[in-house]
Amino acid sequence: MGRSTTSKDAQALFHSFYSAYAATPTNLKIIDLYMLFAVLTAVIQVVYMAIVGSFPFNSFLSGVLSCVGTAVLAVCLRIQVNKENKEFKDLPPERAFADFALCNLVLHLVIMNFLG
Amino acid sequence: MVGRKFPTISLLMLNLLSFLPLPTVSFSPDYPTDRRILVLLDDLALKSSHSIFFTSLQSRGFDLDFKLADDPSIAVKRYGQYLYDGLILFSPSTDRFGGSLDLEGVLDFVDSGHDLILAADVSASDLIRSVAAECGVDFDEDPSAMVIDHTGYAVSQIEGDHTLIAADDFVPSDVILGSTKIEAPVLFKGTGHSLNPGNSLALKVLSASSSAYSANPASKLSNPPSLTGTAISLVSAVQARNNARIIISGSLDLFSNRLFRSGVQKAGSSYKYEKSGNEQFVTELGKWVFHERGHLKAVNLKHNKVGGTEEPSMYRINDDLEFSVEIFEWTGSSWVSYVADDVQVQFYMMSPYVLKTLSTNQKGLYHTSFKVPDVYGVFQFKVEYQRLGYTSLSLSKQIPVRPFRHNEYERFITTAFPYYGASFSMMAGFFIFSIVYLYSK
Repeated sequence: MGRSTTSKDAQALFHSFYSAYAATPTNLKIIDLYMLFAVLTAVIQVVYMAIVGSFPFNSFLSGVLSCVGTAVLAVCLRIQVNKENKEFKDLPPERAFADFALCNLVLHLVIMNFLG
Repeated sequence: MVGRKFPTISLLMLNLLSFLPLPTVSFSPDYPTDRRILVLLDDLALKSSHSIFFTSLQSRGFDLDFKLADDPSIAVKRYGQYLYDGLILFSPSTDRFGGSLDLEGVLDFVDSGHDLILAADVSASDLIRSVAAECGVDFDEDPSAMVIDHTGYAVSQIEGDHTLIAADDFVPSDVILGSTKIEAPVLFKGTGHSLNPGNSLALKVLSASSSAYSANPASKLSNPPSLTGTAISLVSAVQARNNARIIISGSLDLFSNRLFRSGVQKAGSSYKYEKSGNEQFVTELGKWVFHERGHLKAVNLKHNKVGGTEEPSMYRINDDLEFSVEIFEWTGSSWVSYVADDVQVQFYMMSPYVLKTLSTNQKGLYHTSFKVPDVYGVFQFKVEYQRLGYTSLSLSKQIPVRPFRHNEYERFITTAFPYYGASFSMMAGFFIFSIVYLYSK
């Protein structure tokens, strides 16, 4: 009896989340997909390091930090571009994207140097 | 005028002579055989009763200095320098040495690398027994005990008490006893001693047979003797870690002319030898103890990278290197190359990482090559060579080993390919994302 109510609750929760998410604009969904890609790549690298060992450590850090940095910058872009966010009401989305592009440039420069 | 010139001319000649290098040879690392030997005797009659032994030593070039054991002018050391290279103690009943020599003096003499022949006998004094004890040899506690062997005694006309025994249990070593086998048994009459089996420096050169025992022949045995069988050693040799050599014999008669010349027939065998093996045994032992044989030296320990000739001050891990050393043996008059197939080198840091047997070119040069292990630190090339009867060789040379420098790794490390892939895929992903984001409706 108890199990069916919890599973029914979980299903109801999942359905409400899915229908609420469907309402978000397309550009935010694209950013979310990009973030998911970055986080998955980071997880794959950590699992690989756990199996093989941490030599060479600088390459491992470089790879993981490129994924994490990409995810962080994507989050910042999403915050600044989201119309429902009152804090960044006056910030033009083009400005936000320009910041995103420049920060990514710096990130990848650092990563290439540290990759070894 | 002529009368006055003559003494001045002869004085000048004398002065010139003193500048000419006189041909004296002395004990030195280049010439390890002893030269000057002090012989301490209980009784000057020993000079004639053991004359064959002494003249054979003198004919081989040794300078023998005979003194009575309680002669007050005995001095082994003067102003810190040793006056003799070897010591023969044929004074078993002396309680105190004369002059400045005492138990400590004898032990100091041996500790400084000099050689000793010690002969004890029945009723040996405490002094002689304690010299032997300090060298690792324990004589029977009863000073009047002799070695008795009822099945291995020397047959003689008179029915003796079987204390003159014919021993033929020699240590199997060509270095100590010479390459010619001693055919006849050795005649022995005296006390027996035992060695501690844990002592790796002392060995039994002549042991008693398994039917021998050590007891006082004049009194009846009330309990079983403590020293029996092959544990009894008749003549022992000790080689100290500083390569000083010591021979300890339980019988002074072993060296005497009487036993040298007499024939021997061992009880139980029908063959009678014309001459006992004593003279050959004592001569060969004398050669060994005074460093005429079995003295090794190792020179020219060299190492270099394969393909190079000079010795680097540091190696890198996974380098290939070559190692060589030359070993010579002293023949009594010159150094000849030592040939063996069991010399090993270790590449050692707390424990040997590499242990290789050196191959020889049959002319005294030993060489090998190996790869430096994958561990960095300060290593040593170690050659440790201890063989029965030979001087011990212990060489080491320190060399540091460094890890790879930054630019000595391969350019793209295979294990890091996933990380390279991830970083480039992030860059591609950013590029694709920005196109999709900007141009989607």
